[in-house]
Amino acid sequence: MDELLFLQDEVVPALLKGLRVSILLIVPSAFFGLFIGILVGALRVYGSRPVVFAADIYVTIFRGIPLVVQLFIWYFGLPYLGIYLSPFTASIVGFSLCSGAYHSEYIRGALKSIKRGQMLAAQALGFSKFQMVVSVILPQGLRRALPGCGNEIIYLIKYSSLAYMVTCIELTGEAKILASHSFKYTEVYLAAGGFYLGLVSIAGWILHRLERRVAIPGFEHHRG
Amino acid sequence: MESEPILVVENIKKAFGSRVILKGVSMAIRRGELKVLIGPSGAGKSTFLQCINFLVTPDAGEIRLEGRPIHHSRKRELYAYRQQVGMIFQDFNLFDHLTALDNVMIGLVRVKGMDRKSARERAMAEIERVGLKEHAGHYPAQLSGGQKQRISIARALAMDPKVMLLDEPTSALDPELIGEVLAVIRDLVANGMTMVMATHQIGFSRAMANEIIFMEDGLIVEQGPPSVILSDARCERTKEFCSKITELYGEAS
Repeated sequence: MDELLFLQDEVVPALLKGLRVSILLIVPSAFFGLFIGILVGALRVYGSRPVVFAADIYVTIFRGIPLVVQLFIWYFGLPYLGIYLSPFTASIVGFSLCSGAYHSEYIRGALKSIKRGQMLAAQALGFSKFQMVVSVILPQGLRRALPGCGNEIIYLIKYSSLAYMVTCIELTGEAKILASHSFKYTEVYLAAGGFYLGLVSIAGWILHRLERRVAIPGFEHHRG
Repeated sequence: MESEPILVVENIKKAFGSRVILKGVSMAIRRGELKVLIGPSGAGKSTFLQCINFLVTPDAGEIRLEGRPIHHSRKRELYAYRQQVGMIFQDFNLFDHLTALDNVMIGLVRVKGMDRKSARERAMAEIERVGLKEHAGHYPAQLSGGQKQRISIARALAMDPKVMLLDEPTSALDPELIGEVLAVIRDLVANGMTMVMATHQIGFSRAMANEIIFMEDGLIVEQGPPSVILSDARCERTKEFCSKITELYGEAS
């Protein structure tokens, strides 16, 4: 009985507060991350040599350095340059840039899989390279990248828990505070885990719906 | 018939690395003419056609449309030129994510800057012209090969090209579907469209072409009216090739 009351009166309200912050972190980060990923992914396939080089360096750095370290740099490192970010902003910047690097890889693969004939046809009609990428290649490539990008967004939901390392108290942060006060680590973290599972399930469902919605007629996967 | 050619292609050369594909090919075509390119695979027909609208950049040579030389390094000039030269591909290359109607509209809207309503009307007119009005809402994957090729012809026609390049437009089609595409092309000839077409449809070429150009190893071996090339070629190799494809593709057009 005690346990239930503890869950109802302390765990759930604290975690709901944290959940709100988590969602406020995840949604813009997913949006910006995807935007950066599309831009960088397209530049890596269709950019000029120096642009490709710069984009590759971006991906190498942001995929290569652990996210926690990146967050520390944004939050604790930038003040040395006179730039002060709030914990919340630092987290969004860190998540977006890291997520963008991963997204760009899925996007790059998808763009490269578009048949050359699609490009020839666009060029033959008089499309500029930019028009061709925007109106012909990206609409097809993004559909192919969707499962991979969806995967990255699911990851983002979970690595958003690192925000508490730079004192942005979201779901995991609230859970940690509550657990260390109450010493009920198992219960609190299990509940927090359940919240993440719920978030991921909802995101997965939305992504699946989206995938079905944008499927091109005649290209659907048919179950044999 | 006008004496001034609409499109002049002079001494086009192209090599991919050490592999020389075109060794200097020239051609001049007058308004309303149909020139047919024949030759074995690897002769350079496809590369030659793609060089004409710079989908493949020639290493050397000059191209003049209505007397004006085209500078392909000037992007604007290149894009404007390509709008005037329609291209039909062997494997159709319809945009897979767009309906037949949108495939025909997209160039009008994105390249010509037409408003959607007029673009739709124009696109529908072209789709009707190729006899596919009831398929306008279908996606490429829902169309047969012949229907895809007819839509791709409608897409090219909507741009009001002055010249059309057709790269083996029927080679990827089932025998039963070839006729419907050839009928559309025949209709274009009747309406005075200027065309260069690579094909093995020898019966069609005999009936419709003004000139047949036989290419091999990156060079034009022989060219002339169909009656001469197909029945009375000077060059032994031309004779041999023509009798082979006549045997294979028959006389039916």
